[in-house]
Amino acid sequence: MKKEVLLEVKDVKKVFPLSTSWFAEKKYVRAVDGVSFTINKGETFGLVGESGCGKSTTGRLVNGLIKVDEGEVNYKGNDLANISEKEWKKYRKPMQMIFQDPYASLSPRMKIKDILMEPLTIHFPKMSSSEKQSIVKELLGKCGISEYHLEKYPHEFSGGQRQRIGIARSLILKPELIIADEPVSALDVSIQSQILNLMKDLQEEYELTYLFISHDLSVVEHISDRVGVMYLGSLVEVASKQAIFKEPKHPYTKALLSSIPQPDPKVKREQIVLQGDIPSASNPPAGCKFHTRCPLAMDICKKEVAQLQQVAEDQQVACHLY
Amino acid sequence: MNQLLQVKNLKTGFRKENGMQNVVHGISFHVNKGEIVGIVGESGCGKSVTSLSIMRLLHDTPGEIVDGSVMFKGEDLTALSERQMKKYRGNELSMIFQEPMTSLNPVLKIGRQLRETIQLHLNMSKKEAHQHAISMLKSVGIPRAEDVMNDYPHQLSGGMRQRVMIAIAISCNPSLLIADEPTTALDVTIQAQILSVLKDVQKQNEMGILMITHDLGVVAEVCDRVVVMYAGRIVESATVEELFAAPKHPYTKGLIASVPKIGQGINRLYSIPGTVPSPSNMPTGCKFAPRCSQVMEICKIKEPELIQMKEHDCRCWLYQEKEQEVEHIEKGSSARG
Amino acid sequence: MSDVQTEIMPEGAVSMKEGKLSNFWKDFRKKKPALISFYFIILLFIITLIGPYIVPYDPAAPDYNKVLESPSLQHLFGTDSFGRDILSRLAVGARISLTVSISAVLLGALVGTFLGLISGFFGKWVDRAIMRVCDVLFAFPDLILAIGIVAILGPGLKNVVIAVAFFSIPSFARIVRSATLETKEMLFVEATRSIGASNKRMIWKHIFPETVPTIIVYFTMKVGTAILAAASLSFLGLGAEPSSPDWGAMLSNSRDYIDSSFHLVFFPGLIIFLTVLAFNLLGDGLRDVLDPKTKD
Repeated sequence: MKKEVLLEVKDVKKVFPLSTSWFAEKKYVRAVDGVSFTINKGETFGLVGESGCGKSTTGRLVNGLIKVDEGEVNYKGNDLANISEKEWKKYRKPMQMIFQDPYASLSPRMKIKDILMEPLTIHFPKMSSSEKQSIVKELLGKCGISEYHLEKYPHEFSGGQRQRIGIARSLILKPELIIADEPVSALDVSIQSQILNLMKDLQEEYELTYLFISHDLSVVEHISDRVGVMYLGSLVEVASKQAIFKEPKHPYTKALLSSIPQPDPKVKREQIVLQGDIPSASNPPAGCKFHTRCPLAMDICKKEVAQLQQVAEDQQVACHLY
Repeated sequence: MNQLLQVKNLKTGFRKENGMQNVVHGISFHVNKGEIVGIVGESGCGKSVTSLSIMRLLHDTPGEIVDGSVMFKGEDLTALSERQMKKYRGNELSMIFQEPMTSLNPVLKIGRQLRETIQLHLNMSKKEAHQHAISMLKSVGIPRAEDVMNDYPHQLSGGMRQRVMIAIAISCNPSLLIADEPTTALDVTIQAQILSVLKDVQKQNEMGILMITHDLGVVAEVCDRVVVMYAGRIVESATVEELFAAPKHPYTKGLIASVPKIGQGINRLYSIPGTVPSPSNMPTGCKFAPRCSQVMEICKIKEPELIQMKEHDCRCWLYQEKEQEVEHIEKGSSARG
Repeated sequence: MSDVQTEIMPEGAVSMKEGKLSNFWKDFRKKKPALISFYFIILLFIITLIGPYIVPYDPAAPDYNKVLESPSLQHLFGTDSFGRDILSRLAVGARISLTVSISAVLLGALVGTFLGLISGFFGKWVDRAIMRVCDVLFAFPDLILAIGIVAILGPGLKNVVIAVAFFSIPSFARIVRSATLETKEMLFVEATRSIGASNKRMIWKHIFPETVPTIIVYFTMKVGTAILAAASLSFLGLGAEPSSPDWGAMLSNSRDYIDSSFHLVFFPGLIIFLTVLAFNLLGDGLRDVLDPKTKD
């Protein structure tokens, strides 16, 4: 069966200027440095990496909160990279976002009711208030929030409940693609599993496609169908979940996987403890960006950038070893 | 027994407008010499307040130790004056925090901060202290330790800062180190580095470590024994193998099942319904009863005791004697009637 | 969808049942100077409303038998050079001073808030243009600027309002701009953009409400300054008619009697001083409660 491609990100780049001082030499951070991946309709694509690897920036480039410098973002075949803010409005309906910090992503001075009805007010200015309310109420139940909460303000809720409200808001417009930026990182374990289950249920019910951004590999493994691993602005490995967690190819992916503490004291596995820190993104090493920490670095790694290559069915690796 | 730290019936509360509100409700546990004990629990369970109570660092908060004792090498820390306590802190007893930036002075060089701690507690000259500081930085795996001595905290990465904090904490060869979420703010690859550094220094110095964390993976990786807290109480405590192999309390079971594990291949995670009750809104019986999957009538009426079953304590009615249970129900209802 | 659980107890729901306003009042009540100032200002407002009907003497009617009398039981604050009761004149004059200053600050706040919001939100050249103009206005001392404006527009209370409003604009613009810059970076504004909200919506529905506490605090403090400025302009003969019971004009008229009849200067001066102080203290108290992060 041929899968339908919903989103295709092609060699996307984004550079942020670092110092704006007059005299200092201008510095740039290559936050996203040529990232390409595709997401099929109905699947969950997990984007993992450590802090500062550009995963959140990638998410924001996809839904146009940040403008792309170079490259293409094709949504159902339409390139969104260079369209104006006005044209974007059309795509704000099918593409929604869930944010990491449920404490900061809801307007503190608005009632839950108003927060949830706002997307409808924006996109359907003629819709009656009672119609909006019935849409909101239906989704509330699905997201596990009681109706009597509608008249309350965000600060009256716990983190888990706020994230449910954030999820409900992202679903109001019946979107196809949801970009979830670390949606469970700020939550306690027991709440985290509630939210993950909720997201899975909603995906089934509404045939959603997720771009799931997280630093937590266990969470990504649980929820994703395919996974991309980022390091310093570039994808080092893109593969199906089975491939990446059973047979990781890139040394960084391997190290990342072996670093996760397993909640089982009996599992004694060989741990690859990487040496050194993540280099600064404003001054990345030449060649393969990982070579400074890579246990298998070769001479060529210091000089040449490795490109993503197909090494198996649905597994791409950017490493000179392959 | 080789008990280094013994916390007995510790109660800590926060001063509110209408009197004290207890956050830690009479917890007891101990840390042996050279042992790593973990305290796990979700936010608001009282684990951080416990560590601050042991260190007597509550004065920045509205908190106060209400009752109980903290015996450290036979001395009750709760009875000490602030001046006597200062001799212990950073010396025999030290602590590292989640965000090292807040505990390092931003305007002083790393070297000076290390040296001052060393000079304060160990009778050393400036030169000796400097040498000792460098060797400490080396022992926590900091490359170019001599250069780092001249750096300011903001020049270092998060992982490096946490290493510096560990170096400061172990510089006076403490017998107990309290680590409050030491790796929560760090990336996984850096976390792995820090945990291995902690294990190394622990072995070298035969330190006891009290590890406060919300991460069951970290617990399984480094701890010897675990104490599980919920709503200011200990609900279970056991050796790490025992706890993960045969958890007893429904909360512990739920917590372990909630964590996604790699290679597990399940579609749905187990999840504990509801949220932690707020201190002002505690249920009367077992504090976990409203969220518990195995809740019984008695759970809603009376709080269970922490019962001891060889090396494995658990606070749950499921494990109390049946007769006791009946007796308690009768007592409970007669007290009500 | 069977086991989506409705969460049992929202944290902090108990404390919030009392409502925002009562929480505010609870905190505010602890600030004693601000509370006293608040009552004083309420009293002034009551006098403004009913003053003309309850004053013992007609503030405009001269009584040449009682010229320049010292304070006594009949005339608590004494009489002026026309024998008019000073207490009555001050009470009636409160209306002029408060109306002029509050409407001036209101006008300045409206324009300044608008400029601050668009300056902070859009940034770039809009911001630079607005902020440079504000810098130029800041370079003039407030009163000199006001005198200049009144000199162009001509004397009179209406022009005093315009002049005082004019010099409040840049300070409001600047303070609202910085609040806007801070709010703009918050996640909920980004979240609103991601659902497709227009700039107008983001500014007015999401950013503006966050700046309101700052504006209220600053407004209160600015009223004090405005009272002083309006009084100064009247004192210089650029504001109210010399014969009207405006506080500044009263002060101006009594200059000649400063050695012989001190009360003529003292009471108008005292009332101006107390009113300005009250507004400033109230502003301080409000800031502590509403907007603690701007405290220096």
